[in-house]
Amino acid sequence: MKTQSKEILREIGYMPSEAMFYPSMKVRDVIRFAADMRKTDCSEEAEMLCERLMIDQSKKIEELSLGNRKKVSIVCAMQHKPRLFIFDEPTSGLDPLMQAEFFKLVLEYNRQGTTCFLSSHVLSEVKKYCHHAAIIREGELICTDTVENLTRTNAKRIHMIKDGVEENFVYKGNLNELFSGFAGHDIEDIVIEEPELDEIFIHYYQTE
Amino acid sequence: MVLYMHEMKMNLKSLIIWTLCVGGLCFGCILLYTSLEDSIQEIADVYSNMGSMSVALGMDKMSMATLTGFYATEIAMMHGLGGAMFAAVLGIGMLSKEEAGHTTEFLNVLPVGRSRIFRQKYIAVVSNIFIFNLFCFLLYILGFLLMKEEISGKEMVLYHFAQIMMQVEIAMVCFMISAFTKKNLMGAGLGIVILMFAADMMCRIISAIEDIKYITPFYYSNAADIFTEGSIDKVMLGIGMGIIFITFVMAGIRYGKKDFAV
Repeated sequence: MKTQSKEILREIGYMPSEAMFYPSMKVRDVIRFAADMRKTDCSEEAEMLCERLMIDQSKKIEELSLGNRKKVSIVCAMQHKPRLFIFDEPTSGLDPLMQAEFFKLVLEYNRQGTTCFLSSHVLSEVKKYCHHAAIIREGELICTDTVENLTRTNAKRIHMIKDGVEENFVYKGNLNELFSGFAGHDIEDIVIEEPELDEIFIHYYQTE
Repeated sequence: MVLYMHEMKMNLKSLIIWTLCVGGLCFGCILLYTSLEDSIQEIADVYSNMGSMSVALGMDKMSMATLTGFYATEIAMMHGLGGAMFAAVLGIGMLSKEEAGHTTEFLNVLPVGRSRIFRQKYIAVVSNIFIFNLFCFLLYILGFLLMKEEISGKEMVLYHFAQIMMQVEIAMVCFMISAFTKKNLMGAGLGIVILMFAADMMCRIISAIEDIKYITPFYYSNAADIFTEGSIDKVMLGIGMGIIFITFVMAGIRYGKKDFAV
């Protein structure tokens, strides 16, 4: 990797969790600088990205909010159409509209062949947009699978009112045993559903 | 050369301000000489009879009573100190500003490699010093022409060449420090300049510490020495060039292996 770092970096679009640029530069100049350093004319792609992400290119970096700096970072990562995106908390600081637009862009690039690695604590986004997910705890990979397989477990989220008391829990076991445990109790209401990805995440964190 | 042009643009304001301040001040002092002409001989006599202080300021070798002497003593001191400070400020922040400003991640994920980043920033430092000295030199020549004074061409060129070397040496020491630190240590850079300047004066006064002249670049770039002898001390200049080379290598090695703070 070290000997071919430049070749590898050419094919990567990286976005850090905290996007920092040179404060006195204008947005337009930062984007052009990133393109020029890659010796690529990305002007058309950059223009399209800035329009879709609603970036004012005439502003100075020091005048931008966190969210707008994030958007500039997205443009710098995407404009050269790399083969691999590496995004660290890509939607933090973005409003819901821009979050949706960001993922729309990622999916478009993905359909053109770009692979996207992203790290996120917003598990609803991971569930909605990602094909594969991995759970990392303290630097160790705990599990990795398709999102579909991760969410489809034999764990069930149970919400019930038993003997007048409301109970919420995730049950991972034999359902027949669960139901036979209800015998002799007054079950007023019960809802059984698939757990959310964040509950599975917490489950893995707690059980290891 | 994209990064080089970027650094030149980012430092342009600083370059203009320092050039106008140092160059303008010295240019103004050259023009001020006419108003001092009546009393300058008396002032020159006083300065040349101040014992150690005269030696420290070069006024034992050159008389302020002529514009060339005034230039080589008073003006050269202002240019030397101002130029060295500019070089120190430039060098001390050139590498460390990326970590201090948290722009390391942005810059280092671009496909250029650390060695190219290092080289282009280094060339930007040297270019800024050269441009600063060129404009100051032209201003001073203009000052002499406006004063209708004869210019000691060879000595002027030699002196300003020595000044460039001195400033590059100081900038490179600070550039090397910049490779080791995560912050812009401007105070340390300016401190190095003051220390070297003071060391030059002291080693001229106190014979016991005369060997300090081999360490301070102010010694071989002293205007009074150059204008009097018509040459630069080759040994000192060689030591200076050696320091420039060593600091370049050490800075490069350190920068290549550094674990950046993002």
